Amino acid sequence: MSRLFGPHLVVAIGMATLLAIVACGSKDAATRDAAGKVALALNWKPEPEFGGLYEAERIDAFAKRGLTLELTGGPGAPVVQMVEAGKVEFGIAAADEVMLARDRGTDIVAVFATYQTNPQGIMVHAARGLHSLADLFAAGGTLAVEPGVAYTKFFEKHYDLAKMRIVPYGYSIAPFLNDPTMAQQVFVTAEPIAARRQGADPQLFLIAESGFNPYAAVVITTGARARGETKRVADFVAALREGWRGYLDDPTQANALMGQLNKEMDAETFRLGAAAQQPLIEDAFAKQYGVGAMSLERWATLGKQLQELGLIDAPPAPQDCFVQVEALGSAPQQPR
Amino acid sequence: MKRRFVENFLPPAATFLLTTAAAEFGIRAAGISPLLLPTPSAVARAALQHSPTLLPALAMTAQAVAVGLALSIAVGLLVAIALSTSRWVERAFYPYAIFFQIVPIVAIAPLLVIWFGYGMRAVVAAAFIVSVFPVIANSLAGLLSVDPALRDLFRLYGASGFAQLWKLSLPWALPNVLTGLRIAAGLAVIGAIVGEFVGGGGLGVVVLEAMRQQRTDLVFAAVLHAAALGLALFAAVNATSHFALRRWHSQETEP
Repeated sequence: MSRLFGPHLVVAIGMATLLAIVACGSKDAATRDAAGKVALALNWKPEPEFGGLYEAERIDAFAKRGLTLELTGGPGAPVVQMVEAGKVEFGIAAADEVMLARDRGTDIVAVFATYQTNPQGIMVHAARGLHSLADLFAAGGTLAVEPGVAYTKFFEKHYDLAKMRIVPYGYSIAPFLNDPTMAQQVFVTAEPIAARRQGADPQLFLIAESGFNPYAAVVITTGARARGETKRVADFVAALREGWRGYLDDPTQANALMGQLNKEMDAETFRLGAAAQQPLIEDAFAKQYGVGAMSLERWATLGKQLQELGLIDAPPAPQDCFVQVEALGSAPQQPR
Repeated sequence: MKRRFVENFLPPAATFLLTTAAAEFGIRAAGISPLLLPTPSAVARAALQHSPTLLPALAMTAQAVAVGLALSIAVGLLVAIALSTSRWVERAFYPYAIFFQIVPIVAIAPLLVIWFGYGMRAVVAAAFIVSVFPVIANSLAGLLSVDPALRDLFRLYGASGFAQLWKLSLPWALPNVLTGLRIAAGLAVIGAIVGEFVGGGGLGVVVLEAMRQQRTDLVFAAVLHAAALGLALFAAVNATSHFALRRWHSQETEP
């Protein structure tokens, strides 16, 4: 029940912010700041997906590198546009959004990928006895997803959805709780936990199971900044990585901090959410190359998939989509 | 006739051309990213390129708007007639009719899905809720403004209540009813799009998809389709108004 904003409100806020960005124009003026202030736009409320950011702030990881973090944005914020317009230096988006933005002619790059495995999934009632996404699509029923998300297109391409009735997700699990044949999109840290606590017995299939697995909660900035201000960007990523290290080891205090900012989510849900996301953030790859590291191969795969789905005309060069900040610092080089 | 056509269409056409041209050159000159604000020509291209998506969506939205608006007219008129029967009834119920005007449709839209299920019914309900009040309010104002002298005349000749309603009150109130309809038509389109955000289908979902896929040009194209629908309804009400009132009401005979 934490995702209470309806999509209409999200769109309204998005359009309004878009206009505001256009109205106050002047590229870059807002974010260049001598005092080391660095603005980052979130795409959601404070929840475990941003745990590392709040932990970094809490343990002064930014401060000791001379940076003052300023968080803006929230649900419905057009983060890519805000970064493109220079309203903020950094933002949180998904890997597919980065590719779409590049395809639309902007210079957005990823510098840190929180989730190695995409944390989005489809939640069903366990009583249906389903074992996979393929099972679900064969069984049919209603599926609530946000209109226009790339993975729905991917499902349409790779499965037969003739038996599914696809409806917009209204950011409420009430329809799911009321209908035993309903399935819906979820973020592993939120809806399944809320559904369980309200007496349902949900079962979760990750989107990644289908073969579509874009990095999520990706920190983005402009290519010019990532390649031009390497020290600043490397400092920022190093601070963030330090925060995530702390959060993965013990999320308690950062959760308490976020709980004060987001009263809709209680302490127990924060705790369960942080535990649920752990394996998606720190897998074997992240253990070897550091939390947030990305691989060229994954970006190349995503480009091909998005082109296949007709969402982009031609895949952007994968090496242009991200800047591996390890390359600047001390972490081990990874194969390209 | 020809002269009137020129008088009616030249000013808005000139405004359209000027603002479109200004936007086109302004956006290009300022170098604004197409992600933030697309040029009119980009929007037109998106509209053409995506017409296989936009036109069926427009038809779907139009259908929901038509049903919602028809319900609003029927229910709104009946409620207005009921309220006009006595001051007591009006005082007892009118304040609650206002509820429809102030209900924040965006806030209750998710509930509509739970009450009516996904799809057309939730969308029609949203269109109805936002468009019924102007019909009630304007019709009631018209029904209550009947010339008392004429009312006395009807009573003097022993006309039945129904005859008085059918031959006096309703014709008298017709201009007000049509004013209510003009307002309701535009609101019904807004209501339907909000309904589609939660209930699915139509231009509402096209807007959500285009936002998600960072196709700002397609968002604008879809919004323009919705606006065109509103304009078409407005024109239809005006035509009805002209046709229905030209024999009785002087302001309709001369523009």
